[in-house]
Amino acid sequence: MSSSQKVVVTCRVNGEDHTVLADPRDTLLELLRDRLEMTGTKEGCGNGNCGSCTVLADGVAVCACLVLAGETDGLEITTVEGLTANGTRHPVQQALIEHGGTQCGFCTPGIIMSAVALLNEKSKPTDAEIRHAIAGNICRCTGYEKIVRAISSAAETSATARAEV
Amino acid sequence: MNDPGQIDWSQKNSVVGKPLPRVDAGERVEGTAKYPADMALPGMLHAKTLRSPHAHAKIKSIDTMKAAALAGVKAIVTSGDFHDVPVGATIPMGEAGYDMWMVSVINIARDKVFWVGQPVAVVAATDPHIAEAALALIDVEYEALPAVMSIDAAMAPGAPAIHKHVITTGLEPPAQVPSNVCSRSVIERGNADDAISSAAASAAIDTTIDTGHQGYIEPQAMLAQVDSNGFAMVWAATQGQHTTELMISRMLDRPQSRIKVVPVEIGGGFGGKISIHGEAACVLLSEMTGRPVKMVMSREEVFQGGSGPPAAARHRIEVAAEADGTLTAIKGLYRQDCGGLPGLPPSLMMQASAALYQAPNLHLEGYDVVTNKPRTEAYRGPGGIQAYFAMEQAMDSLCQKLDMDPVEFRKKNAAVTGSTMPIGTPFPSIGLTTILDAVSKHDCWTSPLGEGAFPRGRGFGLGYWRGTSMTSACHISISGDGRPMVTMGSADISGTRTTMAQVAAEQFELSIDDVLVTMGDTKSVGYSDGAAGSRLARTMAAAIVEASDKALAELRTRAGRLLQTEPQTLTYERGVFRAPGAAQGGASISLAEIMQATLTDGAILETGVSTKLPLGVEVAAHVADVEVDTDTGQVTVLRYTAFQDVGRALNPTAVEGQIEGSVVQGLGWALTESFDYGDDGRLRNASMLDFRMPTALDVPPVEAVIIETPVPDVPYGLRGVGEVPIVPVGGCVANAVARAIGARVPQMPMTPERVLKAVKGR
Amino acid sequence: MNPYNYQKAATLADAVAARGQPGTFLLAGGTDLIAQMKSGHRAPVNVVDVKSIPELASVQATGDGGLEIGAAVCASKLAQNDTIRQQHAGLHDSVQLIGSLQIQNRASIGGNVCNAAPSADAVPALIVDAAQARIAGPKGERTIALEDLFAGPGRTTLSEGELLVSIVLPKPDERSASAYLRFTPRREMDIAVVGAAARISVDGNNNITGARVSLASVAPTPIRAPAAEAALVGAPASGATFAAAAIAAQTDATPISDIRGSAEYRRELIAVLVRRALEQCAVRLNLEISQ
Ligand SMILES: Cc1cc2nc3c(=O)[nH]c(=O)nc-3n(C[C@H](O)[C@H](O)[C@H](O)COP(=O)(O)OP(=O)(O)OC[C@H]3O[C@@H](n4cnc5c(N)ncnc54)[C@H](O)[C@@H]3O)c2cc1C
Ligand code: FES
Ligand code: FES
Repeated sequence: MSSSQKVVVTCRVNGEDHTVLADPRDTLLELLRDRLEMTGTKEGCGNGNCGSCTVLADGVAVCACLVLAGETDGLEITTVEGLTANGTRHPVQQALIEHGGTQCGFCTPGIIMSAVALLNEKSKPTDAEIRHAIAGNICRCTGYEKIVRAISSAAETSATARAEV
Repeated sequence: MNDPGQIDWSQKNSVVGKPLPRVDAGERVEGTAKYPADMALPGMLHAKTLRSPHAHAKIKSIDTMKAAALAGVKAIVTSGDFHDVPVGATIPMGEAGYDMWMVSVINIARDKVFWVGQPVAVVAATDPHIAEAALALIDVEYEALPAVMSIDAAMAPGAPAIHKHVITTGLEPPAQVPSNVCSRSVIERGNADDAISSAAASAAIDTTIDTGHQGYIEPQAMLAQVDSNGFAMVWAATQGQHTTELMISRMLDRPQSRIKVVPVEIGGGFGGKISIHGEAACVLLSEMTGRPVKMVMSREEVFQGGSGPPAAARHRIEVAAEADGTLTAIKGLYRQDCGGLPGLPPSLMMQASAALYQAPNLHLEGYDVVTNKPRTEAYRGPGGIQAYFAMEQAMDSLCQKLDMDPVEFRKKNAAVTGSTMPIGTPFPSIGLTTILDAVSKHDCWTSPLGEGAFPRGRGFGLGYWRGTSMTSACHISISGDGRPMVTMGSADISGTRTTMAQVAAEQFELSIDDVLVTMGDTKSVGYSDGAAGSRLARTMAAAIVEASDKALAELRTRAGRLLQTEPQTLTYERGVFRAPGAAQGGASISLAEIMQATLTDGAILETGVSTKLPLGVEVAAHVADVEVDTDTGQVTVLRYTAFQDVGRALNPTAVEGQIEGSVVQGLGWALTESFDYGDDGRLRNASMLDFRMPTALDVPPVEAVIIETPVPDVPYGLRGVGEVPIVPVGGCVANAVARAIGARVPQMPMTPERVLKAVKGR
Repeated sequence: MNPYNYQKAATLADAVAARGQPGTFLLAGGTDLIAQMKSGHRAPVNVVDVKSIPELASVQATGDGGLEIGAAVCASKLAQNDTIRQQHAGLHDSVQLIGSLQIQNRASIGGNVCNAAPSADAVPALIVDAAQARIAGPKGERTIALEDLFAGPGRTTLSEGELLVSIVLPKPDERSASAYLRFTPRREMDIAVVGAAARISVDGNNNITGARVSLASVAPTPIRAPAAEAALVGAPASGATFAAAAIAAQTDATPISDIRGSAEYRRELIAVLVRRALEQCAVRLNLEISQ
């Protein structure tokens, strides 16, 4: 294959189907950022080591930098852009704002996706479970505690919201 | 102008001092905040850098023909395309000037390469994959030279001199021949040797500190576009837009007026994003191709020589005291590895390391040496954590010998306002004794350590950083709806837009939602130094106070005119000017009404510039509880409490965030983070898997205890905040480990293997 | 990264056929392969995705009470499997140590095995469970003991055109338990400096009737520790026995010094981890351990 040949890739991101012309070397991360211009998902390492590219694939957290473009066919991808519905933020997003859980913000989308995956599984995680869930996401600014507090309070908010429904 | 000394800043606390959320948090959590890597312009090219595979080599030739012929490659630059910046060139940046030759060499190698990863050529192509592929097609002929990889090797007699122009300064008689030792600095008072030999107790430690890294999660990224008139726009994640402009201008010999640097969101800097690392190349490539050019470094590039790590060091400290615990002498030998190019003399770091103690006899002697590693750059209180790793261990050993409580020992010997600093001048305002009192009463110090499966220890450590002030500028304009709009000349790397919005809101007696603070580009606001040296919040607050006062004065004049009242007789409160007797139904007018009535009478556009603000020195005291697995050497930090005097916390959440983040960075370097260079000069662990920054599971919640001892003559009494909280961490944890296992670990990081060695050797 | 062709194999036959082409690499979770492609360490011409092949994608009970794990099943699926949690606790320990949750959601057991890293966490746990590797190739299928699959760092004994279909675990003895421990400087997101798995079976008198010990990161491949096993079998399950086995395990290993630790340090860790793994087995067997 020559170095400039493109391939057609299909994927479903945040509930929308896309058919894009991609470079055969693209990963899901490049597909999102460079081809679909959804730059909310960040690249901190490109090697699965930092978690800043975390997205949900069929509901579970994965590193978008370690998924090939071709593999996305048939996967349901959710990115940080897909969490804010009709102007309402996901409780995790809101809690991070309120608890000072985002500083430079570069790790933030990845942390949010890991936290959302956790809360989808466990509605009332312990602090230890929260720390375990974000252990694949390196944050260099916050020291983590404010993030843990935020996720914990988001779990409570979600629980209250569920109770009220 | 008001004299700040006359104002009771503690009364200003309706917005200032509140733990408000960041004004820019929304876009961060929604993923819409734009960092340079997120930007795209029509026709944009992608740049990739060819880097040296050698630690030390002559470049004999570079052939870019094959790469240029690859479909999609649009331009390639090598050193010949850049202005030749001479050795010794400086720019007026920072307190001592900034070495411009160094900046040029870290951006592109000329004739010789001094470390693995130094840039040799930069390619622009239509796709990042193509630019990457083109790098492999560039032929560079090197003549390898012997590499010098450690402080000891660099200082050894007969070591190959890396730079012909480096001749050790500070020697008597002056040195004549090239050396890897750039400078010798000495700070002397009394006679330390005599004091040590006659002391009741003394203690010494010889430490080795590995190279670390700032570890910002966002790799360096930038975008440049040169228009057909030759005007260059650069979007950069930088700690200083104006300093970036200055560096690009000198590297390309292009007038500053032809360059505009736009600061965009920055994914962490911590000192590592002061220098430019590719911006000048992108400008050149854009000029050559007529298209925008973006460069995004990979993580491997960041670690493998594409950015400047903080310095490795070898420090030896010896201290002595009388039997009652009165400190009599500090003797220090400091050797700092500045990497492939000469660094700053170590005197500032040396002074800082001894500053918190009153010792009648001092002998501090420091050297900075060049090695074939990446040129070091700043990291939170540059050199501080390394120096305090040695100093606080020496002091702790002395306490053990004296059988004295470490906090009581510090109280006895603490520097106070007016006491003599190592350089001989009186200490400016310092709240060390207040902090020590707080520690000795706090639960983290008084509660029992508790039992675990393995031995536990509690460590105490101090840290000091002087910080700086330099220049900050802002503009405030009043918008048509009466709201103040603040444009800062500096970049926001730590939440400055939020704290400055609090200051502006406080000055105008408005809510934080009624002010807007933005980072200005270099053509919209005047020169400001970068966000570094814990200076920005303090000095920008001073600039905003000045500009706000001026804007309020002009608003007052207009209000007087509109209310047909003498302006001086008006009272101002929460966005409304009132004529005398307004309470009884007299006239009043809001800022919005003033602006609506006078919008076309001329803009209200005021400036504030802060220069030479008094220093706001930073002091921190930390307490750590650890448990050491004596089978594996693994250290678990059970509890960590960080006390810090911040003068005044503009925003407690932001201050805690700085302290908590800093401590965790420090824990990383203290325990697991180390750059492991092979003999060939290649970094063997250039990934975030093998350069082990703490995860959420590796650290306890850090408790920040904020203490407020305001600095006189500074708006709100602000001190620096962001640097000192990393300084005590290495020493504090080392002291806890030593008290747990009964032996000292003199190397940082204190890896499990090193700790186990100490356990076995005890 | 070089350009490559990507294809999904739908059947085992497709995969075997594709595998025969030069420059073809199989892809499961990609957490090793994609990183290696990015670094230029591997430059496939064809990447064949095996995740959707039914035989590779399922976990099933075998007729004789054992378990057959499809090579492409990811670590987090295995962590949720009840049989693995109850009967193969060491494997359960190990799959939860691979990278982070993001990695575990992709990383397959077959990839962990076939990448053949000496540090692969799941491998020692599989070896102590007497795992068999079911292999398919152009000449049909064959089954070998898992420990015979490794040829050296990054190299397997799979021949041209062969692939790993599944891993078969026999049903463990009635009174038997396994454990896997590793040492890393970080709690997670790190590679084993040393890893140790153990399985012991005991009789009614708490004498050890069967033992397997396997180590990671102490030799060019994951290894069995025969000296340690010999020290265990026939001895009472006691602290002294475990300590003797731990020391014996040191002689089974040939560690090297590298960026993750010196040979000397690794040797120290072997004894610590083997002892702790055996103690963990005892805890799982509810044994009161005397010294
Ligand atoms: C950040 C990070 C952390 C990690 N941490 C750990 C860790 O802690 N412990 C650990 O053990 N590993 C770790 N790894 C390595 C990796 O995740 C594991 O080895 C994983 O199990 C590999 O599985 P995979 O499905 O992703 O393999 P792939 O990358 O898909 O494949 C790996 C190799 O096996 C071959 N292969 C795959 N399936 C088959 C098959 N059926 N037959 C024949 N060959 C096949 C591939 O061609 C390739 O050569 C880590 C990786 C990353 C990126
Ligand atoms: S960018 Fe994917 S994990 Fe770091
Ligand atoms: S907020 Fe900066 S890395 Fe997490």
